[in-house]
Amino acid sequence: MANPVKPDHSVVTTCAYCGVGCSFKAESYQGRIVRMIPWKEGKANHGHSCVKGRFAYDYYNHPDRLRTPLIRKSITDPWQEVSWDEAIHYAASEFRRVQDKYGKKSIGAVSSSRCTNEEIFLVQKFVRAVMGNNNIDNCARICHSPTQFGMSATVGWGAASQHFDSILQADVIMVVGANPTEGHPVFGSLMKRRVRQGAKLIVIDPRRTETVDSAHCKASVHLALRPGTNVAVLNSISHVIVREKLYNEPFIRERCEWDEFESWMALIGSDRYAPEVIGPQAGIDPESIMQVARLYAGGPNSAIYYGLGVTEHSQGSTGVMCLGNLALACGMLGREGVGVNPLRGQGNVQGGSCLGSWPHVFSGYRFVTDSDVRSSFENDWGVSLDDEPGLRLPNMFDAALTGHFRGMYIMGEDPVQSDPNQHHVISAMKNMECVVLQDLFLNETSKYAHVILPGSSSLEKDGTFTSAERRVNRVRKVVEPLAGYQDWQIVVKLMNAMGYAAHYNDAGEILDEIARLSPAYKGMSFSLLERVGSAQWPCDENAPEGTEVLHRVKFPRANGRGTFMLTEYVPTLERTNDRYPLLLTTGRILSQYNVGTQTRRTANSRWHPEDVLDINAEDARARGIDDGDWLKISSRFGSTRLRAKLSTHVNPGIVYTTFHHAKSRANVLTSDLSDWATNCPEYKVTAVEVVKIAPETESETAGFQKTATLEETAA
Amino acid sequence: MISTGQTQTYRADDPVLDMDRLIAMANQIGDFFAPYSPARRAEGIRNHLRTYWEPRMREALLKYIDEEGGTRLHDHVISGARALTESGVDRKGYYGPPQA
Repeated sequence: MANPVKPDHSVVTTCAYCGVGCSFKAESYQGRIVRMIPWKEGKANHGHSCVKGRFAYDYYNHPDRLRTPLIRKSITDPWQEVSWDEAIHYAASEFRRVQDKYGKKSIGAVSSSRCTNEEIFLVQKFVRAVMGNNNIDNCARICHSPTQFGMSATVGWGAASQHFDSILQADVIMVVGANPTEGHPVFGSLMKRRVRQGAKLIVIDPRRTETVDSAHCKASVHLALRPGTNVAVLNSISHVIVREKLYNEPFIRERCEWDEFESWMALIGSDRYAPEVIGPQAGIDPESIMQVARLYAGGPNSAIYYGLGVTEHSQGSTGVMCLGNLALACGMLGREGVGVNPLRGQGNVQGGSCLGSWPHVFSGYRFVTDSDVRSSFENDWGVSLDDEPGLRLPNMFDAALTGHFRGMYIMGEDPVQSDPNQHHVISAMKNMECVVLQDLFLNETSKYAHVILPGSSSLEKDGTFTSAERRVNRVRKVVEPLAGYQDWQIVVKLMNAMGYAAHYNDAGEILDEIARLSPAYKGMSFSLLERVGSAQWPCDENAPEGTEVLHRVKFPRANGRGTFMLTEYVPTLERTNDRYPLLLTTGRILSQYNVGTQTRRTANSRWHPEDVLDINAEDARARGIDDGDWLKISSRFGSTRLRAKLSTHVNPGIVYTTFHHAKSRANVLTSDLSDWATNCPEYKVTAVEVVKIAPETESETAGFQKTATLEETAA
Repeated sequence: MISTGQTQTYRADDPVLDMDRLIAMANQIGDFFAPYSPARRAEGIRNHLRTYWEPRMREALLKYIDEEGGTRLHDHVISGARALTESGVDRKGYYGPPQA
């Protein structure tokens, strides 16, 4: 549709596509969005944007959008269109029926990092105050839960220490397991600008990504390590820092726990972490490990940015701790240009993390077992709360398989497509008696749902997102919700129908409740954000307009000191062998977003019509594979098929794919191994074998067609 | 691995999670704390189980130790799990290195 010259309405809002949190002026004409203009005053993007945020908004108005609630008694029955009242009443009565039959703890919920802070907060309140248990998790479980754990352990808070602009003061930029030029493009551009100004770039990633080498970006050192060896390599970098005494002793003595530093030195200093030992194990040159250590420790300002290549491993939390240890040892925290910064995949992963959407903590990462914290919520909410941690998302599925977990409220998630070991998840879903799914579209999970509640996109609601730099940005309603309600309003309806009297006049009142109950958000309100545009938490009387850089004076730990964790390398159990000789790792591409529910329904799909398997020419030749051939990829857990793309971006022994299309079924392959601390799945390492299949044998794989049907309607 | 779902019968007193999974998870936690001294090792495991594991998961693990000797668990995981009942008074969780 041609852009009208004069839109009749516009608001400034925040993009939901990644953790950068770009501000856009969204313009509409007669109730339809006509364009998204990057907003110059946006403190994250300063007028820049990427190809998703600027162009991929048409999904909101796609014919596939759900407009009417649906219910059915059994997943084999056809869907029945019903009124909102009937759907809400049915969901509520089913949840109560399941609880009466199987116990209070037999139901739970998962919320989405695509939803607002207010919605995420409300879902956990729904679970804790109305369902009466702590079975609440967030999709951050399967991406950045190790960040919360690993950073809390070392520096005190599971959040980026810096604001994005801080990178312009960095002399050395170390990117670990992330590809910001594709995954976080606007931040990626900022990083490239700094590299062009002369900052040294270190990339630790199995793939030769665009961040390693592209037109405007060249890494000084690239450690193309074998997937699964992060902790070994990070320990080896630390080993060099210890061996060559490159650490910052005054900083450690003044700001950290010295005894823990000494224990750490004893472990890390062991010969088993020498680059000469680790280099060959990880498939990299020992000399390059030393080079990285010297560059990083030399700074003078060195900043770490990392992504899911660190967290999605059986030692994900340990990997995050390695980064915390490293930054503390070299004194790279507490000022501009340094820090440890997770790059978050969805618009509100940080909000999902800090607003209590976890089974073991309330907002602000405070344990449910802490009676003082718990009573502050009990007083505000007027009910007594469960004092024990609840089930994590993967444990909910596990417990469904033992018959202990029977009902689930899913807000804006597609666990069947996005969670690991798909066969396991599907069996678990089939065991549940009441699955209530609230989403924009029917997705893979809806095949196993009993109630569908049509959700609203971030273009149809009010609230806030917290970006990867802890920045709380306003989300403003551009157009009316297509199915009538903003997601938070639907949660309130469910709470009411289950007998809890909740009422909010607007989303701002939920933010007020968040502020009342969460110290780091104490000063947040719609009126503050109206006045200053956006603010980074902590925001309170000491920092009325928020905080750009954390840890300037002390760390948010009981004694104010940073500390060191012992990070022994424990190789994953997922290993290659003769049958599965290749390691599959996964990632994403610029034009598409996650499982693609939204971006696949926009013209962005022309850039990336299908997922392909990147394979090194050497591995391809050994298997008689040419570019474009159909391949069958098998792991110990399942098999799927993709087209081959001969690539120099992966080393021999490693294959790579994206997971933007449901028909690719990448998670049929992934294992049930997970991070030791958080159960974050090990998506980044799967042993596989690849064989060429002739196009005429496609009937062999007829099973794949069925799951693809849903997607075909989405072109 | 793949359960058919509908035909199985479940008992309320079955472990909340498959025992093999719980044992694997507990041993993974044990692997992380292994480099610490024995007392801190056990305390690290105790704190982790106390703050992150749903009570029925902890109960199932303790039952496995009591009734079957915990034979598939690392020794220090058994010590850590037993500390759950010994130091049950201390119910406050914490982040960071094991405090012992």
